[in-house]
Amino acid sequence: MTATDARPAPESPVAPAVAAAVPLAVRARDVLTSERTKLLSLRSTYWTLLVAVATPIGLSSLVAVTLANAPGRGAQRVDPLLPGLISLEYAVLAVGVLGVLTFSAEFSTGLIRTTFIAVPCRRAVLAAKSAVLGAVTLVAGEVVAFASFGLVQAVLSGKHLGVSLSQPGVAGAVLADGLLLFVVAIMGLGLGAIVRHTAGGIAALVGLIILPGILALLPPPWGARVGRFTLVDAARQVTALHPATNLFAPAWSLLILLAWPAAVLLAAAVAVTHRDA
Amino acid sequence: MIEVDQLVKRFGAVTAVDGLSFTVRPGHVTGFLGPNGAGKTTTMRVILGLDAPTSGTALVNHRSYQDLIRPLHQVGALLDATALHPGRTAEAHLTSIAQSNGLGRRRVAEMLQLTGLEAVAGRRVKGFSLGMKQRLGIAVALLGDPPVLMFDEPVNGLDTEGIAWIRQFLRALAADGRTVLVSSHLMSEMAQTADRLIVIGRGRLIADTTTAQLIESSTRKDVLVRSPRAAELAELMTARGATVNREDDGGLAVTGLDAPAVGDLAAEHGIAVHALIPRTASLEDAYLDLTGESTDFRAAAAAAPSPEGAPAR
Repeated sequence: MTATDARPAPESPVAPAVAAAVPLAVRARDVLTSERTKLLSLRSTYWTLLVAVATPIGLSSLVAVTLANAPGRGAQRVDPLLPGLISLEYAVLAVGVLGVLTFSAEFSTGLIRTTFIAVPCRRAVLAAKSAVLGAVTLVAGEVVAFASFGLVQAVLSGKHLGVSLSQPGVAGAVLADGLLLFVVAIMGLGLGAIVRHTAGGIAALVGLIILPGILALLPPPWGARVGRFTLVDAARQVTALHPATNLFAPAWSLLILLAWPAAVLLAAAVAVTHRDA
Repeated sequence: MIEVDQLVKRFGAVTAVDGLSFTVRPGHVTGFLGPNGAGKTTTMRVILGLDAPTSGTALVNHRSYQDLIRPLHQVGALLDATALHPGRTAEAHLTSIAQSNGLGRRRVAEMLQLTGLEAVAGRRVKGFSLGMKQRLGIAVALLGDPPVLMFDEPVNGLDTEGIAWIRQFLRALAADGRTVLVSSHLMSEMAQTADRLIVIGRGRLIADTTTAQLIESSTRKDVLVRSPRAAELAELMTARGATVNREDDGGLAVTGLDAPAVGDLAAEHGIAVHALIPRTASLEDAYLDLTGESTDFRAAAAAAPSPEGAPAR
């Protein structure tokens, strides 16, 4: 049992400078690979993704059935994309928690110190975690969005209420549905890095999503003017077949929707680089 | 090589490290000693770039840790063996860290073999004993085959077998020409492992020396003498060039004369001797003498509630 077995002893006390020659792209790939291994080596990741994918697909068809069988003409006035959106709530919550845990689990166990010792550039760690989780939740989100859409329209078309992807605005709205998982997961990840505790991070995430909704209660027209900057209203605009006219246009709302996670990530970048780990 | 120069680290009003300077050289196991809360862990965390120093510098191989590229090839560290995600397997844990520094699965397999963890590589660390986690932590530290290694209290909580394993391991690493820094609050442990010692207390350097020198310089050697005619005997001994100190219980602490000489002297003058005990202080005593001041401070601080302990860890 000696360390000598592993490799001949270093000739000089100072390590060779080979590492300095490693290009940035290679180092970035290393950190990405590392974070991918971390995310995919936990059972909780798969359970969370299963919940995030299966629940909304099942639920959306249920909502569609209810809607299709609603008495009177009520159903006709309802957005045919709504069942898909409503059912996403559970998926959003699940991936939001997954996002928070990506950092908070490392902080609470102390593993984050091993991570930062291996990769002293903390912003690289934040970027790699975001990229890996972002990719996974984007794929999961689009799978859910299109699967739900297919099921819902299959149900609704029986009552001639359905729409098809080729109709104007439909494909974009369904794509935006899937994007919501990505947005909330990245916000969760950033908040996990800032708050460093799981429960606190989840509370902060829920707070950021729900609390600004209070602004919509301001007297008109201020409710809508301010409310259109909130995550919930922005999400509503980009996922609706017939966007509201008193809020931002979908293109602007999409920018706002992406600005939220971007802002949280920026704050997280400042927090992780300037605090002791 | 690790170079710490005029390092200061404050947490709010508490100064954990207070103008500390020392150099750790390759080829030795260097013990980093001090009572709990002396600033050992904080110093190590600053060296590893985890905590930013308030002032001063800490360099590894002449560079600041933040400037190291693929640092695991230069420095290996084990701070807290229990800092693991419970749901990840030993192999996945090692693999994820290896990948971040461009190391492959073959290196991971080698480390699992070296630390005797192959059989449990696929098990989640949730069920690992402290000894197994310690081995996994060492596997992480050795991943990049670094010339500099740092271990924070590696024997804490280990059984005798585990302690022997680590001790042997540290010596092998140093014999290999590596720089090995090991912290501990136990002098007895370090006396058996370390060739050099850096002793700190209250964030300040107390001693930076070899283990042998420390024992030599601070070991007390005297003879305890008890006699019903102590005063008379003391005078005679002083006349022979000895230094005599009267202890609280009436015993005489004699230096400058060994026990046989004291006995002969007493017999010559017909003085009864009730006790004649040669005394040598242990390394542990030497250490307590050195750090006595800082321990006193800690006892006083414990009486008045103070945030000292928590952040200094």
